[in-house]
Amino acid sequence: MSDGTAGRYCVIGAGAAGLTAAKNLREHGFDVDVYELAEVVGGNWDINHPYSRVYESTHTISSPPFTQYPDFPMPDHWPDYPHHSQIGEYLRRYARHFGVYDVIQFSTRVERVEPVDGGRAWDVTVRTGDAAPRTLRYAGVVICNGHNWYPKLPSYEGEFTGQAMHSAEYKSPDVLRGKRVLVVGGGNTGCDIAVEAAQNATATFHSTRRGYWYAPKYNLGKPNDQVSDAVFMLRLPTRIVQRIFETTLKLTTGDLTRHGLPRPDHRILETHPISNSQLVYYVGHGDITPKRDVAYLDGDTVHFVDGSVEQVDLIVWATGYLMHFDFIDDRHLNWQDGRPHLYLNAFPPAYDNLFVIGLLQPDSGLFALMHWQAQVMARFLAAQRDGSPAADAFRRERDEHLEERQSGGFHYVYSTRHHLEIEHMDYMRTLDRVVKTLEAA
Amino acid sequence: MTRRRTKVLRPLDWAFPPQPIERELLHVAADEPADRPPLLFVHGMNHGAWTFAEHWMPAAADQGWDCWAVSLRGHGGSDGYDGLRRWKFRDYEHDVMQAIIEMPRPPVIVGHSMGAQVVRRVLQRYVAPAAVLIAPPGGRVGLGVMTRFARRQPATFTRALAARPVQLDDSDLFGPEMDAAAARRYCDRMTPEAPLAQYEVMVRPQPVGARSPVLVLGGGEDALVSVFDMVAAARLYGTRPHVFRGMGHDLMLEPRWREPLDLILDWAERTTKR
Repeated sequence: MSDGTAGRYCVIGAGAAGLTAAKNLREHGFDVDVYELAEVVGGNWDINHPYSRVYESTHTISSPPFTQYPDFPMPDHWPDYPHHSQIGEYLRRYARHFGVYDVIQFSTRVERVEPVDGGRAWDVTVRTGDAAPRTLRYAGVVICNGHNWYPKLPSYEGEFTGQAMHSAEYKSPDVLRGKRVLVVGGGNTGCDIAVEAAQNATATFHSTRRGYWYAPKYNLGKPNDQVSDAVFMLRLPTRIVQRIFETTLKLTTGDLTRHGLPRPDHRILETHPISNSQLVYYVGHGDITPKRDVAYLDGDTVHFVDGSVEQVDLIVWATGYLMHFDFIDDRHLNWQDGRPHLYLNAFPPAYDNLFVIGLLQPDSGLFALMHWQAQVMARFLAAQRDGSPAADAFRRERDEHLEERQSGGFHYVYSTRHHLEIEHMDYMRTLDRVVKTLEAA
Repeated sequence: MTRRRTKVLRPLDWAFPPQPIERELLHVAADEPADRPPLLFVHGMNHGAWTFAEHWMPAAADQGWDCWAVSLRGHGGSDGYDGLRRWKFRDYEHDVMQAIIEMPRPPVIVGHSMGAQVVRRVLQRYVAPAAVLIAPPGGRVGLGVMTRFARRQPATFTRALAARPVQLDDSDLFGPEMDAAAARRYCDRMTPEAPLAQYEVMVRPQPVGARSPVLVLGGGEDALVSVFDMVAAARLYGTRPHVFRGMGHDLMLEPRWREPLDLILDWAERTTKR
């Protein structure tokens, strides 16, 4: 342990979450060190970066009004669904504007995070490049290492002798050309890759466990998320909101069972929303053959649960990602039943100086939510520093509502995919209430 | 009384974001770069970014301040004249935010008159290192300005009430020391205001409090914004106004424009020093 870091806060990761965590802590008068594994901020959005999970065609699936940080809007002339390289540029501009670059140590891996005296402070072991590891003592730690980078791979019986890859390694449609391709997974990535396969591969099969609601990216001439927010604004009962969205989809996308897609086994927004205008289009053109779940693999063939068999050259597992924190003990994050149990997905019950920012899977853009998470964190720390009664009020709120999920009344289908699922309006209203609590004193 | 300094929920902005627009952003670079935040000037009704380029921006740049001024939509060199009937404070706030993201670091924001009201909205979502409100039209609401306006220009006021775009008169904007020819010349460059924004200046309750330090100032001979209005606005930010005796509403265009500018620069220097 070395001195000189007393009273400082450690932020792990300089992506969209780490940048706003550092910026908001500094805004409230705290000293911050940010450790970033890459040589750049927002490495996920830089396709050349080894930990990046974007592919050449990745665009956002939400539009700027809710996606952007509220105090740093995206430029007016950007499109409704910016390209991933623009999001990278946006994060660099944000970091430059708010002076976050001054406090980032690049090419530095966080190897270990351990509490001191039951959490009075934290010892953080970091290693820059090939240098020897150093351990520094911090007043608190903010975990911002992301949750969409550690691939989740399914296991099926039998052995596949063709080529297989997780979508994490998928970069461009070049790998699809001239092949018979099976894309497994009905998330936004799986749908994107299925569309690219339809445009490039010889044959495309798209396997999903269940039927989903496929929302188009535009609705009534506006980006779909802005239309949804107009409906959410009315604060109608959940059932009625679902009815409105389902009716809209029936009138626009139509009956999907006609194309051989399974009927959704759940109401809309009970699974993470899919925003893709092209998937149904290519299914309708016969360029994508919808498939049920995989039953087993056999040589270069795949057997599906409905008994059908297809010869396949390439399988792309678009089966998502798992949360992964290898530098801190699970118990500090209150892991139970395979996931951390945190107040607002950000605040562990046992510590007042350990936080996770951005650990959310919202039905919307994410940056605005992370901004307000970071604001709540910074205000809570400021209240502790200033001896304000608001700190106790926040602790009470945290302990009482620890298990509450801001689901907006939707009952999510059980899957690891929905461990972090929240409904953004419900979540924002909760954050608004908490900010009020912290501002009252 | 609990006063919200922060606005978390913005459903209107999420569902119906302000229309994108091409806007004028004037820049006068500091003579020699100093470790200071930039200044961003926001004009009021009828005015444009040019009103700050006349005297203040070059003078402040001479003293080492990087100066920027934005023209709100439908004003100065910005687009949006054809949408004048639609623009509201919410759109103006968006224009200022779009100017802010062009700055290399957070700016000291200086708002004049209606621009001060727009800046007050900006301060609810953006923590500037400091902010200056010049001749702010009232505390919570601009009823005092409305009464004075109605008394001085009943015909123009009636047209504003009827949602017609109106323009202030040179007798309203300048103090007794102003040269009449210059006053006329400036007024000729001004443009009518958006009708909904006119209502908002007078009757819409304005936000209260900020997490940025705030300076309030104005002219003692202001025909529209009284010292009482300035006191009311300043109180909401825990401060008191500096009043420049003998000066009118448009302090940045008056012959003694250097005095308020010096005060602003001195204060900004002291307030933002790290």
